[in-house]
Amino acid sequence: MFVLSVLKDTVAIHPSNFGVPADQALISELNKKYANRVLHDIGLCICVFDLSEAGEGKVRYGDGFLWYKVVFRMVVFRPFASEVIIAKVKSSDQEGIRLSVGFFDDIYIPVAYLPQPTAFDPNERAHFWLPDSDLEKTHEMLDTPVAERMYIDQGEVVRVRVEADDFFDDEPGPPRMADGVQVHREAKRAPYNVVCSIAEQGLGPVSWWNSAGQGEEDGDMEEG
Amino acid sequence: MEVVNARAALLSNYEVLSLLREQESDHLARAKTAVRVKKEEEAAGHPPRPLGEATFGEPSENLRTVEIEAIQYLSADYLPTTRQTADGISQLVKDLAPYELTKAEKLQVVNLAPALPVELYVIVEELEDRLGDRMEHILNHVQSGLSDAPAPAPSSSDVYSAVQAPNKTSTLAESYQHEEYHEEIVFDDVGEGAGIEGDLDMEED
Repeated sequence: MFVLSVLKDTVAIHPSNFGVPADQALISELNKKYANRVLHDIGLCICVFDLSEAGEGKVRYGDGFLWYKVVFRMVVFRPFASEVIIAKVKSSDQEGIRLSVGFFDDIYIPVAYLPQPTAFDPNERAHFWLPDSDLEKTHEMLDTPVAERMYIDQGEVVRVRVEADDFFDDEPGPPRMADGVQVHREAKRAPYNVVCSIAEQGLGPVSWWNSAGQGEEDGDMEEG
Repeated sequence: MEVVNARAALLSNYEVLSLLREQESDHLARAKTAVRVKKEEEAAGHPPRPLGEATFGEPSENLRTVEIEAIQYLSADYLPTTRQTADGISQLVKDLAPYELTKAEKLQVVNLAPALPVELYVIVEELEDRLGDRMEHILNHVQSGLSDAPAPAPSSSDVYSAVQAPNKTSTLAESYQHEEYHEEIVFDDVGEGAGIEGDLDMEED
């Protein structure tokens, strides 16, 4: 889930912090800038791990700051493709399920990555899976007895496999009047999205698998 | 800003959690000192400091948020992280060496501590072909590394004390600079110089 990224930056230290040991001042300044921020194609920065190199602080003309060139290591949240992670269901809608790991919640399971056959129950606002069923149409599945359905409820802990991640760096840009109609851009996209799957044996709500018997699991493995 | 290496190494959840906890206690200690200093100054009749001067050491809002939320997630009861110890993990990584798992697979075994065959099955590709009956052994190794289970023989206590010592984040960090060395001694029971993530690092790919 977490990786170390080596970054390089120039940091200014305010004169009021000259009394503090330089390394602490630098780390604090870097954390101020990077913590909880998504860097494009890097991931979500958590905090500074340590400093690798720091140059001599220099004073530039015009301000009293000390400017340091620093190479440092950052703890970054960036699960790799095919990694299995555990997350909580934040919400569900027609398009899929949104998950959260507390500090990051742009994790999605699109409908295509749900176990088949599956349907969305608008009354419960949750997706459910029908094990051992070959129904294909949504309305047929919604007619099944509730007892047969395996719901993926809000707040449930799920085990998911990371399939892909996308970074978006949307800039406002100038309005395009030349297009005639004002193009209504998609609602703000999150800068970093993780797409996950539960369409596999062993994935999905943790409770499904913990309650399953040993013998059944062995059978599943041969299938898989 | 310039990116030197986007993926210098992989970190296990345990390492991140201990780093964040260490930072949090640092912040608390600093906040306490700040309050004490302020009180002393007031008692001595100093004028109150101008705003912005005494604020060093107070972590930024963003850092506080991500720190608290990440600690919450990592110490949740559905993750094994709080039950892990540094020596438990380094022992586990050594125990996993003969099974020829990839680094990514080992990292996930450490992070998720599978207790059931089905949990191991999602982590390890082609489990049946590669491990066959040996997966039970892996599950046993995992369980023995968790603090709830009977503790394993403390063969790497020296590593443990080094990693556990306060303000020793650098110990964790340095250990993967010795990676080559570490891989050579992976069967060595003394395990000196071995860090818990030594085997989990990833070369840039």
